[in-house]
Amino acid sequence: MDTKIIWWSGVALDVAILSRGCWTGLLRKFPLFYTYIGCVVVKEIIGLLSYEWAPRFYELLYWPTELATVLASYAVIIEIFRQVLKHNPGAARLTHNVLVMVFAFMLAYASSDPLHGGSVSLPRAIVELARDLRYAEGALLLVMLSFFVRYRISANSNLLGLIFGYAFWVGINIMTLALWFLPGNGLSLRLRTVLPLSYNMALLIWCVTLWAVRPNPVQPPENDVERDYELLATKTREIFARVSSGLVRTMRP
Amino acid sequence: MIGLFPAILLGTLIVVLGFYLVVQGLRRSQKPAVSIDEYSKAREALDAVFVQRAAIERVFSIDDFKFIAGTGNDDARRLFLKERKRLALLWLRKTQKQVAKLMDLHLRLANYTYDPNPGFELELNAKYAAFVVISKMVLLLLWVAGPFMATRTIAYTIRATGDFCTVFSLRLERVNATRLSSDLEYLIH
Repeated sequence: MDTKIIWWSGVALDVAILSRGCWTGLLRKFPLFYTYIGCVVVKEIIGLLSYEWAPRFYELLYWPTELATVLASYAVIIEIFRQVLKHNPGAARLTHNVLVMVFAFMLAYASSDPLHGGSVSLPRAIVELARDLRYAEGALLLVMLSFFVRYRISANSNLLGLIFGYAFWVGINIMTLALWFLPGNGLSLRLRTVLPLSYNMALLIWCVTLWAVRPNPVQPPENDVERDYELLATKTREIFARVSSGLVRTMRP
Repeated sequence: MIGLFPAILLGTLIVVLGFYLVVQGLRRSQKPAVSIDEYSKAREALDAVFVQRAAIERVFSIDDFKFIAGTGNDDARRLFLKERKRLALLWLRKTQKQVAKLMDLHLRLANYTYDPNPGFELELNAKYAAFVVISKMVLLLLWVAGPFMATRTIAYTIRATGDFCTVFSLRLERVNATRLSSDLEYLIH
């Protein structure tokens, strides 16, 4: 009964996010994110129906659909990156190069994992691939968040909520998966409950932060931003040059 | 693929950074990203570092200490050491704060550049990290041994700060100056 409550509340939150997205117009602003939510809704409804009417089919379906949603969730990373790129081109460009490198490395590492002889069956291989893709996603997200924090990116509450909800979900998911793969934990009922509960928490964060359109951070017009920056940089260069030459003179008498 | 501890660490870091980003973002959304006012403050901080250079050499100068020690008055010597230690600690803390301000300014400015240099960014961040570590060590040394015993390490810190500033000035030379509009020249004066 509890499981069904968690399940149905998740679907209800998904639908609420989607309908609010349509109503407020945020669906057009974050199309990839809402596509991901749409994929999850479809997966959940298929899962619920098969769980009720064909439990054996549900068992077969669970990990392949999980793998599909993990792949779909990469769209959220792209969405976050796209949105941040709009107002912070410098930080986004720096992040882009590192993300490509990390993704290539993680993908190579994840694809080499089955070759080490871990998986003996197709379902097990799918389970491990889903887990590895989630780890790769986590690594990408960590790099991206580090850059965003370091370069003090500016974003509105909608985007910040989207990022936080996603970070919360991926972070908890990675920790739960790691515990799940420990010997003896495969059938743990608590871990099976943590995963949907944490997803519902993420949905709740998204539901609250994407309920209405929030204004973008206060920024001067585009031209002013550039001009201010150039003025600042030119004058600061002069000051830095003066200070650094003064320091060098003091250091080496 | 990865062990339990790295996975737990990865997950925790993601959640913590996500939360920190929200806190930082909400705090920053209340003020403009880059402004002339902010520039003026950074300029003042830079000027302060420059102006204090001659004075700080005096704080760490052993000559004054020799003079006080020569008078044979122990109370005066103790008071002198206490005062110089306090001044040295104040200077170092202020320098740390000003360099941090410079770094903050650079990072915010980097957001608006169209062609940032990853190699340079890496170098700058590494030098800044080195500065932070060294200055914290010097702060500890000053606290424990006083300014005169710590002179050698201080000289190294000054050198590190100098390198940091040189890197900073080189970075700003890469700014696209052609975008600068002459009709706003008055803002720099």
